[in-house]
Order: sequence, then C-alpha cells, then structure tokens
Amino acid sequence: MPLINFAAREINYKIVYYGCGLCGKTTNLQYIHRKINPEARGKLVSIATEEERTLYFDFLPLTLGTVKGMQTRFHLYTVPGQSYYNASRKLVLQGIDGIIFVADSQISRLDENVESYLNLWDNLLGQGDDLGKVGFVIQMNKRDLGDVFSVEDLNDLLNHTGSPVTEASAITGQGVFETLKVVCKQVIAKTG
Amino acid sequence: MTRRKGLVINDRQLDRCDDILKKLKDVSGSSFLALISTSGQPITTASDEYHPETLSLASLAASSFAATQQLAKILDESEFTLLFNEGKGINLHVSQVNDQVLLLVTFGRETQVGKVRLYSQRAIEVLRETFEGPDDTMTPEMDADFESAAGDAMDDLFRDV
Repeated sequence: MPLINFAAREINYKIVYYGCGLCGKTTNLQYIHRKINPEARGKLVSIATEEERTLYFDFLPLTLGTVKGMQTRFHLYTVPGQSYYNASRKLVLQGIDGIIFVADSQISRLDENVESYLNLWDNLLGQGDDLGKVGFVIQMNKRDLGDVFSVEDLNDLLNHTGSPVTEASAITGQGVFETLKVVCKQVIAKTG
Repeated sequence: MTRRKGLVINDRQLDRCDDILKKLKDVSGSSFLALISTSGQPITTASDEYHPETLSLASLAASSFAATQQLAKILDESEFTLLFNEGKGINLHVSQVNDQVLLLVTFGRETQVGKVRLYSQRAIEVLRETFEGPDDTMTPEMDADFESAAGDAMDDLFRDV
C-alpha cells in the first residue's frame, strides 16, 4: 500500500521487521542507521522500555534518492516481539508493503520463532490485505552463534510460502543490507 | 476480502489540499499543518517558519492515533475522532479525514484549541470531498523503467556499507 504522491513526485514504502522478542529486529535497524550514508537516512526513533526492549516500534526512514523523477523512500519499522504486545504489532502492520521476518536461528528459540511466525500470519490474514502484493523475506539471524538450526531445517519449519531467505548476524552487520535489498526490490516489483 | 488499496495523490488533489491547509492555517492561527497517511507517511504540509522533522512526526502521530482508536474499542466507544496533546509552548491536534488520511495541526499560545478544532472540522469536510469525490484527473502511470532504476539506486546506496 505505497503512498504515491504524483503531484509532489514522491513514493513511500513501508517495511516492517517482525519476529519474536530478542531476535534482532532493533539490532538490524541500529546497524543500518550506523552504517548507511547519513544523508540517506532520517532519525532513528525508538519507543522502548527502560530496559531498552521495544514497547511499540522503532522507526527509521531511508531515502533512495530521485528515481525516474520520483523521490523514493522506505520507512522501516520494527514491532515489539514479546507475545503480550500483539495489539501494538497489529497497529504497526497497518499499510505495510513488505515484511522481514527475523528468525532467531538458535535451537533453543524454536518455540518462540514458530509462535511469532504463526502470529504474523494470523495478524496479516486478520487485516484482510491482498498478501500477493506484500513483499516477504525471512532473515535467519544469529548465524554467528553455536547451537543453531541448519538453514534447511529452519526453512522447512518457518517458510511455508517458499519466500526468499537470507542468512545474517545483525550484531556484526553480516546480511543486514542484503536482506533489506531483497525486500525493497520485492516491494517495488509487487507494488510498482 | 482484499482491501489493499494504495493511496495515490494526483496534481488536482494536492493543489486542493495545499489550498485548504493554507486557509486553515490562516484562520485558525496554527503554526504547522500536515496531511499524513494513516500508515504514517507525510502527504503535504503548510508552515511559514516552524518545520519539525516531518517524517518522524508523521510516523509517531499516525501510530498514536491508531493506538487511540484501539483504546476506543477497548472502552466500547465507537471511535475517538481526535487526538490532542497539550504542551507548555506547543499543542498537537490530530483528527481523521478518512480511513487513509489524518490532519495534523500544531499551534501555540497565540490561538485556542476550540478555534483550531472548529476550523479543522470544517476543513476536514472539504478535504474528505477532495479524496472521496469523483476523480476527474487521470492518475499518471509509473515510469515503466522505475523498477530497474530503483534497483540500480539500491545497489549504489548499499554498495559501500
């Protein structure tokens, strides 16, 4: 559901990082904020608890520049991962163009990943959106840690749509921009 | 079932919105006005001197408004149609134009909330017609090469990181 302002020559896409608590959604945004050209990004806004857990969302606007005469922006959001914040997650999902599902690759986090993945699809189906027009990527995060699922196993467990998968370690930055690029290209292809 | 509807603004709509915001600014004595989408993206603004960071403001205001709507549901109220934040120097008034657009007004001590509220309500009626009335202007098509050009721009932006 991009906002296309032909009169002002602007197009804005909304992309949401989704996943269970402590899977690395905010870390993705913080890395992008640190590393990208400062002229291409706005302020990183975080609504978090005193313990720096996301309470509502993080927000980071990125500007791609002028493409074919259109000022093109991506608005990146995270959701709060803890299960009891579902009302907030539903609000952040409104008007999305793309989703990055951040999976914690650690074997010990399987239950949380599955719960979050099911919760995502519950919320998306509840919104009544045409999901064929939403970009979707699964980022297998924390690949740098030991005791993690293989990519194949995690893909079998979490990727019922056969969506693109990336491997990442958001804390070191590995795969962060690759994931973002995949979903950005998807949303442009799907929504125009 | 599928209600995925993008918000597309054409020249006629934007000109009309700009006119309405400018008039509202003048009659209400407010300092900064913006039309934003309910998903948190700015559409257009009106201001003489005061320019807050519009992207963050739009994102936070839309999210707060969405939360307010959910609070109404929990309280068994059909809807809360506006959100008002009162500060020492600046006040923020957010109201709903339609299911895709919000009107955001900031104002200081030089005017009164009642005045802003009254004129905002009148402006919303006209804005609503602008977005919901028959569209006599063809919406332009996106450039056919937009997708590949955007891909190149992304490759450039992410190349050195």
